[in-house]
Amino acid sequence: MSDDGEVDQVLAASVGDVKYVMGLLRGVQFGSNRATIRATSGGLSVSVEDARTLLATAFIFKNIFDEYLYNPEAGLASQDQPSQSQSQPQEEGEPTAFEIPLAALIECMSLFGNTMGSSSSNAKQRALHTGHSDDEDNQEGGPSARANPRQNTVPANGRIDQYFGGDKGAGVRLSYVGAGHPLLLLMAEEVHGPTATCEITTFEAEPIVELDFLEAPTVLKIILKSSWLRDALSEIDSNCDKFTIIGNPPPPPGRAARSTDPPRLRIQTAGNFGSIEMDYPSDKEVLETCECEQQVRFSYRFKFIAHASKALQHSTKTSLRINEEGMLSLQLIMPTARPRQAGNTDGFIEFRCLPIDEDP
Amino acid sequence: MRFRANIEDVATFYKISQAVEKLQKRCTVKFTESEMHIICNNDAGEGSIQVWSQIQVPSLFTEYRIQSNADNEIYLGVATDALAAALKSAAAPSGQQGAFSGDAEVIVRLVKRTEVAMLSFEINASTRLGRPVRIAHDVRVDILKREDVSRLKQPMCPEPEVHIILPPLAKVRAVAERLRPLAGEMIGMYANREGCFQLRAQTDAASVVVSWHGLSNPRMAHDPSTQRADEDDERDPKVLYGVLVNVKSLQKFLNSHVVSTTTIACICQNHCIILYVYMGEIADAGGVLTFYIPAIIE
Repeated sequence: MSDDGEVDQVLAASVGDVKYVMGLLRGVQFGSNRATIRATSGGLSVSVEDARTLLATAFIFKNIFDEYLYNPEAGLASQDQPSQSQSQPQEEGEPTAFEIPLAALIECMSLFGNTMGSSSSNAKQRALHTGHSDDEDNQEGGPSARANPRQNTVPANGRIDQYFGGDKGAGVRLSYVGAGHPLLLLMAEEVHGPTATCEITTFEAEPIVELDFLEAPTVLKIILKSSWLRDALSEIDSNCDKFTIIGNPPPPPGRAARSTDPPRLRIQTAGNFGSIEMDYPSDKEVLETCECEQQVRFSYRFKFIAHASKALQHSTKTSLRINEEGMLSLQLIMPTARPRQAGNTDGFIEFRCLPIDEDP
Repeated sequence: MRFRANIEDVATFYKISQAVEKLQKRCTVKFTESEMHIICNNDAGEGSIQVWSQIQVPSLFTEYRIQSNADNEIYLGVATDALAAALKSAAAPSGQQGAFSGDAEVIVRLVKRTEVAMLSFEINASTRLGRPVRIAHDVRVDILKREDVSRLKQPMCPEPEVHIILPPLAKVRAVAERLRPLAGEMIGMYANREGCFQLRAQTDAASVVVSWHGLSNPRMAHDPSTQRADEDDERDPKVLYGVLVNVKSLQKFLNSHVVSTTTIACICQNHCIILYVYMGEIADAGGVLTFYIPAIIE
């Protein structure tokens, strides 16, 4: 993979191990829905929408890649130095957007192996939107140990294994010349192994559904371990239709919590075969933070919520927010096994979902 | 007509039968004094893939006796699954699950029971506790006439453009398997004379080329009566020649990865691909399964 960046490419990115990127993409893949990729100097975002109600977006920051060059003017003025655009992140106009068949991209990336996920048990976790820093030991043991058998199979020196090819995915280089051109993938597994060249058809990006969470004030904000939410979702029968989230305010100050108090977070589902109610107690072990001023109750179609369960498999921490309009925002941290550098290295996946309009 | 032999290398015979079983329901087996031939050439098979194999008698059998009125050759039509089932119980157990220890003695005979011809497999083995076990499989066979079999002809092919030694089939198979959802009906197989072999797949969503480099191109002895031999050196070695083949045919061929050590592919552009799957080392000349996969002409 050469460093003399081809200046006529709008986008060139390479990564030595495709597994993590693939895990992020799998998290937002449902059915054969096409994905919109938007490239900026800060990284890539991959969005998939369903029925104009759900928008799933994977954020793949540029430092996840070993090499990331973005040159929006490539098509126009081809002599722009790419290093300059890197030094001024976020200061630019419209991102470059195009649509691709996401299933085909994932199939191509898994040509040399199908291993999923890349979470390492000792990857540091990081909270979203708060300066909250975690107690790492707390993450290792406790309830998550039971709930994350996959993570626990990763040896403690998972990071070292990366360099010795213990369970390594293929290396990949992505490049995109511009509108009307395919997305080009070059992949290689090992030095003497086969190489693959994939050209993935791109389409002109259609405007994606506008789900602006910050339009209305936030009324519920919870941060919890992803395994708690994942286990809850796995309990729910897939025939269920309605998925209701109820948040309750804390007991008034100066009074201890009683068992008769309503739970801080309750999940209710109703389907053909019955209904389920799951309560999350107000325990720091369960709900790391829970901000809620007054009772909140919104319902969503379960088939949309269920799309998040694949991403939850590999996520460590979830931020669950609901705004006044009832729009749900789930942000899932997807930990990398990479050594941490300055800046936010972890990619994340966000699901935004509109509520069911209920009769008042 | 008499036939009897000890099967010395049951494991290999079993692997061959497995490879053939996935291909066709019935096959033709020809025993001569020095070789065993297994032929699958029904057009009923999907993609009309054909197999012509030759296995040297000493590489599979000992105490091999054959006698017939047709120059000591015997032609049989056999159901492939029955053959594989008989050999399966004779094959040395793999891992912990086998009930017998590996030193089974297997004798195959051509017999006639109530006017029906059978290949009788007699297996004398012992359990892991050392108790003797005797298993007999009778596989019903049709005795074929020599005239019928002599009408079976290997497909005629032009002189191939490229000969190349393929990477280990298990690896090719793993890639081909994952290529399938991206391939639709056909997969392209391409090679050049500089050690490059490619699998290509294409759909509306994506087009994929998987390339292996640094393979070797064996030199073949040319038939001096054809002119192609002279042209060979003039052609550009970088040019890729290829055929489009049915995905299912390719997968059936790749099932033979269990027996293969070395595989040589010969590409006859726009005609067919011929694949020689060697069992054991090439130098031993133990046996070869020859697959013909016809090209799909667009």
